[in-house]
Amino acid sequence: MSSDPSGAEEPPVLEQGDSIVARRPFFSGPAGKIFIIWFLMTTVGVLIGIFAPHHLLPTLLSTEGTDVWRTMVLFTILAAPVAAFVYAVAAYSLIGWRHRGNQDEPPEDGPPLRGNSTVTAIWLGVSSVLVLVLLAWGLAVYSAESVSPPHSLQIDVTGQQWVWTFSYPGTGVETRSLVLPINRPVQFNVTSVDVTHGFWPVDLGVQVDANPGVVTVIRATPDKLGKFTVRCSQLCGLYHSFMYAPGSVVTAAQFSQWLQSEGASTTTAQATALVKQ
Amino acid sequence: MTTDLTRPLLLEDTPIGPTAGGFYRRQNVYTGLAAGILLGFVGWLISNAMLEGSNWGTDMVVTVTMVGWVIGFNLGVGTFNAPLRWMLGHDQTYEDELYAAGVGQGRKRYYKFCTDHKVVGTQYLVLVVVLFAIGGTLAMMMRTQLITPHTDFLSANAYNAIVSIHGMCMIIATIIMVTGPFTNFVMPIMIGAKDMAFPRLNAMSFWVVVSAIPPLLATFVLGGVDAGWTTYAPLSVQAPPAMDAFAITMIVFVISVTVSGVNSIVTVLTMRAKGMTLGRLPIFTWASLVGAALSIYAMPALLIAFTSMITDRVVGTSFFVAGQGGTGWLWENAFWIFGHPEVYIILIPPVGAMLEVASTFARKPLFGYKVTIAAFVAVAALSIMVWAHHMFTTGWAPELAGPFMVTTEIISIPTGIIFLCLIGTLWKGRIWTRLPMYFVYLFLWNFIIGGVTGIYLSDTPADEFFHGDMFVTAHFHYTLLGGAMIAATAGLCYWFPKITGKMLNERIGKTAFWIIAIGIQVTYFGMFWEGFEGMPRRVAFYDPIFQHANDMATVGAYMLMLGWIVLLYAGINSLRHGPVAPANPWHSKTLEWKVPTPVPLVNFLVDPVVTSDPYGYGEPEPVGPLIIPPPHPDRELVPNLSSDNPLAKDDG
Repeated sequence: MSSDPSGAEEPPVLEQGDSIVARRPFFSGPAGKIFIIWFLMTTVGVLIGIFAPHHLLPTLLSTEGTDVWRTMVLFTILAAPVAAFVYAVAAYSLIGWRHRGNQDEPPEDGPPLRGNSTVTAIWLGVSSVLVLVLLAWGLAVYSAESVSPPHSLQIDVTGQQWVWTFSYPGTGVETRSLVLPINRPVQFNVTSVDVTHGFWPVDLGVQVDANPGVVTVIRATPDKLGKFTVRCSQLCGLYHSFMYAPGSVVTAAQFSQWLQSEGASTTTAQATALVKQ
Repeated sequence: MTTDLTRPLLLEDTPIGPTAGGFYRRQNVYTGLAAGILLGFVGWLISNAMLEGSNWGTDMVVTVTMVGWVIGFNLGVGTFNAPLRWMLGHDQTYEDELYAAGVGQGRKRYYKFCTDHKVVGTQYLVLVVVLFAIGGTLAMMMRTQLITPHTDFLSANAYNAIVSIHGMCMIIATIIMVTGPFTNFVMPIMIGAKDMAFPRLNAMSFWVVVSAIPPLLATFVLGGVDAGWTTYAPLSVQAPPAMDAFAITMIVFVISVTVSGVNSIVTVLTMRAKGMTLGRLPIFTWASLVGAALSIYAMPALLIAFTSMITDRVVGTSFFVAGQGGTGWLWENAFWIFGHPEVYIILIPPVGAMLEVASTFARKPLFGYKVTIAAFVAVAALSIMVWAHHMFTTGWAPELAGPFMVTTEIISIPTGIIFLCLIGTLWKGRIWTRLPMYFVYLFLWNFIIGGVTGIYLSDTPADEFFHGDMFVTAHFHYTLLGGAMIAATAGLCYWFPKITGKMLNERIGKTAFWIIAIGIQVTYFGMFWEGFEGMPRRVAFYDPIFQHANDMATVGAYMLMLGWIVLLYAGINSLRHGPVAPANPWHSKTLEWKVPTPVPLVNFLVDPVVTSDPYGYGEPEPVGPLIIPPPHPDRELVPNLSSDNPLAKDDG
C-alpha cells in the first residue's frame, strides 16, 4: 500500500477573499449523517430507558425497589448518548466509508490519522463527568438506604437447606412466609444454619447473603400492598431451585391480625404492629 | 543431499542424527496418557494403603490419585526431561534441542512435547476449540433443561454439576483462548523474535494445562461439583470428592498460566528485534504483555484459595468453616481477588488482537496508540482494586461498598477510551469488510451492551436487586462471549491464513457470523428478560412466570451453538480444500505478515530491523518494519532488500 507516488498533494493556496468550495449542507456530510444516526439512536435509547425497566421489572413494592427502577432509568438515559455515538460512527463507517466492490483490498489507504488530543480530552472529560454523576447518585441512594430508622420492625431471617424461616422477635411468631406491614421500615437480620444462601425478597428490590455464623443486615420500607416471593440467590446445593417462600405486604391492621393468627398474644401483636416511627 | 542455492538453508532442513533427542524420541501424548494413568493408579494404591486405620476419607484418595495423574502425564509426555537430564549431570545437546523443536518429525510434532512456539500455539488452538466444544455442549444441556419450568432431562444434582463445570471450563478456555494460540504463535514473530524466551517452559505450559482437563471432567463421575464455578465455601467444603479433582485442576491451571505469563513478559522485554522499541510494539503485543502481567498478580490468589480448600477438605483445616475460626467470606475475597483481574486477563489480549484487525481492515493507523496502551495499563491497575463489587450483597464490610463502587465505575473511563480508539480507527477509513472485520463490528455492538449493563451492576443499590440473578449471567456473557470471544474470533479469522497456510472460506464464515450474531442477541436478551423478572441463577427448575424468557434464551442458545459449528466447519473445510494463503493476504504491516507461510522454524531468515511502528497506513513509504541485511558475511542468503534504506546504507 503506497500512497500517491507523485508525492504529497499540493495544498491549495488560498488568497484572501477567494471563495472556498461551495459548502455542502451539514446534514449531507459525514458529520451530519452521523449526527442524524446518533440522534435517532439516542432517542431510541432514552425511550428504552423510560419504558423498558417499567415494563420488565416486577412491580416493586418498596422505596428501595423504586430506587432500583429510578437508577435503571437514569443510567440508561445517561448511557444512551454515549452508546449511540459509538454505534452511529460504526454504522456510518459501514454506510459511508465501506470499500465497495469485490473481495479485493481498497485501492488506497485511509488518511493517516494517528490520534487527536482534543477529541481524546473531550471524550475523557465527558466520560468522567458521567461517571461522577453516576457515582453521586449511587452513593447518595446507598447511604440513604444504609441507616435503620428508629422503630424499624425487626425480622430475623434464617436460611437453611432449603427453606426460609422468618421470626418476629418479641412476638414468638416464627413462620415460613414473610408478612410485612406497609409504610413501616423493616430491618432483616439474616443468618444461615448451614451453607451460604442469598436472601432475596425479589419485589422489595434488596438482597443480602445469609452466612453461617454471622448476622447480616438489610433494610427495606414496603410502600405498596401486594404479594411477592422470597428467593434464594446463592447456589446452596441440591434443591436451590426450590428454596423460595411466599411474602406479602399488608396493612397495619391486617398485620396485627396475622400476628395473632400465628400465635402472638393480642397485646404483643398490636404493640408490634402499631409502633410508628 | 543436493543444496538448492536459490533458497537459504532452513534450520528445519538440518539433518540430525538418529539418536538426537534422546528420550524425547520415545515420548508423545500417548506415553503421557499411559504414564499418567499408571502413576494415578499408584497414587490410588498408596493413598488407600495410608487410609488404613486413619480417619481420612475419599478426599485424600482422589487428591493423591489426581496429583499422581498430573505428574505421571507430564513425565510421560516429556515436560520434565530437560531438568531431569540436567540434574543427572548432562545437558541437552544442540541436536537434542533441534529434535525437541520438531525438526524432522512432520505432523507428529503436534502430538509431542515440542518447543517450537508455532507448534505450541497450534496445539493451544486445538485445545481451546475442544474446551469450547465441551463447555458449549454443557451449555446446551442446561438450556435444554430450562426449556420448560420442570423438565425431566437432568436431575438437580446433574444440573448443578453441569453449571459448575460449564463455568470453569469456559473460564479456562477463555483465559487461554488468545494467550495460548495467538500470543504463542504470533506475538514472537510480531516483535521479531526467533521463539519465546523459554521454549521449554512454553511447551510445559501447554502440556500442564492438558493434564488439568481430565480431572475437570472426572468431577462428573466423582459426584459432581455442586457449588457453581465460584465454589463458595462452606458448600464447596461439604461437596462430594469431585471438588478435590476440581481444586487440582485449578491449581495445575494456575501453574500453567503463571509459567506462560512469565514467558510472555520476558519474551516481550528481552527478545525484541533491533529497533523494536516499546513505543513501536504492535498493540496486540502490548495487550499480551499487560494481560500476562495481570495474570502474574491474580493467579497466586487462586492458588492459595484452592490449596486452602484442599487442606480444609482433606486434612481438616478450617480456613473457610464458620464456627471453627474460618469464614466463607475469606474464600469469597480470595476468589474474587483472582476473579476480577481474571476478567481483564481474558479481555485485554483479545481486544488487542481486535484492534490489529480494525487497523488493518480500516486501512488506517491505530487511533491513539499511546492512549490505548495507557488505557490497558489503567484498566489492569484498577482491576486489582474492584474485586469486592462481586460481594456487595454478601454482607461483608458494608462500609466498603462505597469505595468499591467508586473504583468499579472509574474503570469504565479507560474502558471507554478503548471504544474511542476503535471508532477513531474506523473514522474515515477505507473499511474492507472481510470476515475478521465482521467480528470487530459484532464486538463493538456486544461490548457496548455488556458495558452499559455492567454499569447498572456496579451501582450497589441496583446490584441489590440484580445480584445472583440471570441479569448478571446475561451481562457477563455479553462481555466475555459477545466481547472477548468475538474479538478472539476476529483474531482467529485474521491469523488463520498465517497459522494454517490456507485462506478461510468466507462464504461459510459469513453464514456462521450471522447465525452467531443473531444467536447472541436472542440468547442473552432472553436472559436479561429473565433477570428483570427476578429469576435466580443456577436453578434447574423455575417458576412458570419465567417460561417465555427462558424459551427465548434456549432458542437463541441452540442458534448460537449452530453458528459456532458452522464456523468450525468453515475452518475444517478451508483446511482441507481452501486455497493456499499468500504470505500477507491482508497487506498488513506487522512483522508476522512479512515472513513466509508456513513460517520457518526460526521465523526470520535474517534478523529484522524495525524502523517504525506497524501502523503506517496512508503514510509515505518507507515506513513500517523493514527487513534489512544484517552485518554478517552470509548476507548473500538474504532476499531482495530495499537499498534506499538509510540503515542499510550505513551498514554497507
